[in-house]
Amino acid sequence: MRLLDTLWKALDERLELAPLVEFATHKEVPQHRHSWAYYFGGLTLFFFAVQVATGILLLLYYRPTAEAAFESVQFIVTRVPFGWLVRSVHSWSANLMILAAFVHMFSVYLLGSYAKPRELTWWSGFLLLGLAMGFGFSGYLLPWNELSFFATRIGTDMTSKVPLAGPWLLTFLRGGEEVTGATLTRFFGFHVAVLPMLSAGLLGLHLGLIQRQGMHVPGHLAEEARTRKPLRFLPNFVLREGVVWLFGLAVLAALAAFFPWELGNKADPFASAPAGIKPEWYFLFMFEALKLIPATVLGIEGELIGLGAFAVGGLVWFLVPVLDRASAHGRRSRLFLALGWGVLAYLVSFTVLSFLGAFQ
Amino acid sequence: MTPRRPGPACHPGNRGPRSTNDPRAAVVRLGTLAIVAVALGAAVAAAGPLAASVVGPPGKSAADRCTACHRELDEARLQAPALAVGNDTHHAQGVTCAGCHGGDPTSDEPEVAMDPKKGFLGKLEPTQVPAMCGSCHSDASFMLRYAPNIPTDQLAQYRTSKHGQALAKGDVKVAVCSSCHGAHGVLPPSDARSPVYPSRIVETCGACHGDATLMARYGIKGDELAEYKKSVHYAALTQKNDLSAPTCNDCHGSHGATPPGISSVSNVCGTCHLTQRERFDESPHKEAFAAIEQPACEACHSNHAVLSPSDAWIGVGQGQVCGSCHAAGDAGAAAAESVAAALARMHERLVAAEARVKKAERAGMLMEEAQVKLEEAHQGVVLAQVEIHSVDPARVETQAKEVLAAAGVADGLAAAAEGEIRFRRTGLFVSLAVIALAMVALILKIRRMERA
Amino acid sequence: MDPVPGKSGISRKSFVNWLLGTSLGATLAAALYPVFRFVIPPEVAEAPVNRVLAAKLSELPLNAGKVFRFGSKPGIVVRTATGEVRAFSAVCTHLNCTVQYRPDFQHVWCACHNGHYDLQGKNLSGPPPRPLEVYKVDIAGDDVYVTKGA
Repeated sequence: MRLLDTLWKALDERLELAPLVEFATHKEVPQHRHSWAYYFGGLTLFFFAVQVATGILLLLYYRPTAEAAFESVQFIVTRVPFGWLVRSVHSWSANLMILAAFVHMFSVYLLGSYAKPRELTWWSGFLLLGLAMGFGFSGYLLPWNELSFFATRIGTDMTSKVPLAGPWLLTFLRGGEEVTGATLTRFFGFHVAVLPMLSAGLLGLHLGLIQRQGMHVPGHLAEEARTRKPLRFLPNFVLREGVVWLFGLAVLAALAAFFPWELGNKADPFASAPAGIKPEWYFLFMFEALKLIPATVLGIEGELIGLGAFAVGGLVWFLVPVLDRASAHGRRSRLFLALGWGVLAYLVSFTVLSFLGAFQ
Repeated sequence: MTPRRPGPACHPGNRGPRSTNDPRAAVVRLGTLAIVAVALGAAVAAAGPLAASVVGPPGKSAADRCTACHRELDEARLQAPALAVGNDTHHAQGVTCAGCHGGDPTSDEPEVAMDPKKGFLGKLEPTQVPAMCGSCHSDASFMLRYAPNIPTDQLAQYRTSKHGQALAKGDVKVAVCSSCHGAHGVLPPSDARSPVYPSRIVETCGACHGDATLMARYGIKGDELAEYKKSVHYAALTQKNDLSAPTCNDCHGSHGATPPGISSVSNVCGTCHLTQRERFDESPHKEAFAAIEQPACEACHSNHAVLSPSDAWIGVGQGQVCGSCHAAGDAGAAAAESVAAALARMHERLVAAEARVKKAERAGMLMEEAQVKLEEAHQGVVLAQVEIHSVDPARVETQAKEVLAAAGVADGLAAAAEGEIRFRRTGLFVSLAVIALAMVALILKIRRMERA
Repeated sequence: MDPVPGKSGISRKSFVNWLLGTSLGATLAAALYPVFRFVIPPEVAEAPVNRVLAAKLSELPLNAGKVFRFGSKPGIVVRTATGEVRAFSAVCTHLNCTVQYRPDFQHVWCACHNGHYDLQGKNLSGPPPRPLEVYKVDIAGDDVYVTKGA
């Protein structure tokens, strides 16, 4: 204990850390009936940390070439001690991270927390979710198995529909005309270098903004928050978050051990696509909706219209702090609240229906 | 490689009779005379020797006036041959229309070109065809110049065939050369478009042999084609594209097509299925079958509809093959029973071991060793199935023991893998308990802290 | 809630602290143990690629063959009577039995149905429908390496 104290004193003397601790202990987290929502950002962060740790471990054995990728993952899950666990945790944690991020995003949206002055937090969060999905998409290909190979073929093919830049984008993503070993190498680069770098920067910004601006209290809960004693960030809120993290760890361990992530068969670029090719679940809402659009609508390619609609939808979602003018004045817009519930209903219903096989 | 004789014949422009000291020319002339003698009798005098304008030097496409003219004709019957010769291997090798039909291929005048006095034969009668084709194809030294790698005994074989014998008796319904190879547009048998390419032979023979009414005249059932299509051989040919899989001609012969006799069936099958034949020859069945004039392989496996053999065939019960000679209670039935039991035991254990290994594999376990053992067991099953032909239960049993041992090892490895999975689950439960405990402790801590 | 503050309160507090420390320590250990195990590579230190050490040249006399393992599938390396080393898949193309080298025939033979393959892997006679897959052979000193798909 004395050693720790000495260390702390030495550091504090040089870096002036005391004000930071001071800040953290004085920082308060308001309490109201929806304050559960404050824990999901932290949970997402926890899964992200797990991803970084397990990702680095996998890097010790993984080989990003078409010849060796599948074999190296097979080697990890069958021969390396606890390799099955590390790989399974990495796959499950990726999915849980995206799930937690979605919950976080919708709770923020529905509580109107994106409102001025927190536009930057919303935007950085939006981009972080985009990066997370990029992690998912690029990471899905890395084991180089049948499913991932064909899902990537379909997924990258969509970019070719983008007007003007389509062919360029397709070649950029695939590293050629087709999904080949070149695609694998580049996706590996995105997955372990480009995306982590961007994520680290954005994540720093996102967290910094939250610490700077404090938690948002929705207008209709302000009264309740005033009457209830707020939680001190340190240690009360942090310890509670710790319980949530432990719960997340338990779920992760249970999933990884009981439902080990399957490896499937090695990708064969010349084989015909196996039946039931589906992307990761968080792309299903897009995948299934695009399938529902007729091949051509008013002489325009249906898929192009669908992608256009998603682009416009994404832009509206992104710009919601600006578009929802009432929010800046602390008022809730019924229209944007309805939009939020509508989008949530669409995402959940399409994803669930897709799992139930309703779109076959 | 046989050194080729310099070809003295067929000098371009030499349209006159060849010098009689050229042996090849003499043979060709004799051959031609022979055909015409068979075919037309009196018209022999009209047939001239084959001139350079009729059969050109090898490797050079034939140039004649016949195709130029016939291509322009309106009547499809007369136009079609001229259009078809574009792909014709003979035409490509310098054989003009006159090579088979006679006449003068250099003349633009129909009266001159198709002058019977110049040997013009018109449409060949079926009876004329074999000898016509044989006039070149039976001439070894002639064929050496054009296609040195093909045999020259087709005509000789054909004469021994059922088709050839019937033709000799004047039956013109039987197959002649052109029935299978085509007349105009003949392709080498190695060409996938040829009607005698392995995968197309069934349909080619089937054109006649699939016609039950026609076949009834010859006392043939006519269901051979349909039966053959049920066979493993047909499946190998068409589904696995295994061109070495037997089709009609591999057992019946091509030119000498005839049904294999009772004593030769096992020879025919044994050319590919050597080991089974060897076991059969060692078995008491060999002499027993011969004594009752029972064909060997065919007795159990059928002839055309050679089905994928099943272990369930063994026994004297309903639908089992041994029952056609043996009856319950005799020594054969007892042997069959013990062979069947050994096979069943093997399969049961192997299927169980496979399922268990597969399950462990799906759970993410490395089952390479077990897979090797399963391969070994599979190989043992194949060998045991070969031993069935020896009809000696002891030999099957020896193989079965090896299969059971290999399957047992695989099963043991799968059991070990299952143990490892259980161990992982236990480990998980322990860590879940630890995590739960930490959660409880943390909650207690928070409650204490906040109460204070 | 505590009816008697003081001693029992203190002991409960220290119990909670002990429980918290122990259980968090155990959780950390449970998370770190697999990590420490993971970073140490297994005996076979490399992910299998398409290459394997099939035999030692010194253990392979003239006119002999040896079956080796390519993952779970067998391969066969053959030293011909003239000293050349060749390698093939040992899986017979007929019914997947493991083939062997027959010094008396001086070629590859499958015992199951008497299939014969020549020293180029080509099916000579018997039921095999296709040639054996040919592997590339590299000899480094005494080591015979066999590469698949090259």
